Amino acid sequence: MSGKNMEEKVEQATDRKNISLPMSRVRLIMKSSPDVSCINQDALFLTTKATELFVQHLALSSYKNGSGKETNTLSYSDLANAAEESETFQFLTDILPKKILAREYLKSLEEMEKVDDNL
Amino acid sequence: MEGDSSTTDTTQLGITGEYMTGGTYVLQTQDDDGDESFNDHEDGNGSKDYFREQDIYLPIANVARIMKNAIPQTGKIAKEAKECVQECVSEFISFITSEASERCHQEKRKTINGEDILFAMSTLGFDMYVEPLKLYLQKFREAMKGEKGITPVAVSEGLGEELTDDSFTGQLPAGLITADGQQQNVMVYTTSYQQIPGVQQIQFS
Repeated sequence: MSGKNMEEKVEQATDRKNISLPMSRVRLIMKSSPDVSCINQDALFLTTKATELFVQHLALSSYKNGSGKETNTLSYSDLANAAEESETFQFLTDILPKKILAREYLKSLEEMEKVDDNL
Repeated sequence: MEGDSSTTDTTQLGITGEYMTGGTYVLQTQDDDGDESFNDHEDGNGSKDYFREQDIYLPIANVARIMKNAIPQTGKIAKEAKECVQECVSEFISFITSEASERCHQEKRKTINGEDILFAMSTLGFDMYVEPLKLYLQKFREAMKGEKGITPVAVSEGLGEELTDDSFTGQLPAGLITADGQQQNVMVYTTSYQQIPGVQQIQFS
């Protein structure tokens, strides 16, 4: 009987901790930054929780801003647009390059060549 | 402790995708050879020990779940978008950590603490997270305190110090004689989940 109560207490405590991302993995990512030696428990928790908030924030912002009305789907380009247009997400522009179709790229190449020819 | 289990599933560890920028073709394919590493890139010498910070990701299932819960219920998420957010997340963590680490160094401290993280967020434009995070931290601390009451505490030195010879005298039951005829001191310590100031003795008579 008492064992069961103990299990419930631990479960409740875990729920109250209220995180859905693995802290161990977060720590690994943090430690891969240069010159990071020790990370205390509070810092690890805050980073993990902040990451959750970040995911929610990025997903929702991108979705709202994007073509959701038509497709109802959050796409890569929604994210890339959010990175470019929002100051908060600007640090992501390097890893979220806007994609263009190959044919559009080739077209723009041709146009650039035309400009060069005219010079 | 949050259900994180190691996985060799490529989709959870990394991403596969092709990206093209305006100026260059950026082609990324990442192969996982099935090992436990978080590193999705094969190095020339086959070493899996070297992880670049951008190669370590949080599990895609967890990330996708958070995204799903954030957008309206009718919304869907492209697979590519999930993989992309996975990368963004690692970038975010590194972003915050570098800033916090820098501050730590400036103040000649070695350990990054909660304040450093919160300050970094404020500095980097995530000020809106700070207040909610403080509340979450409070709840987390309370939850951890509760757990401490559940996990067994190691016997403290204080308990040992109280075990002097004097504590035995006068407390032995007179008739405690073992089979081989020798009198023995019998002390039984209860395992308790809280530190007890003194030693509890149970005497068998």
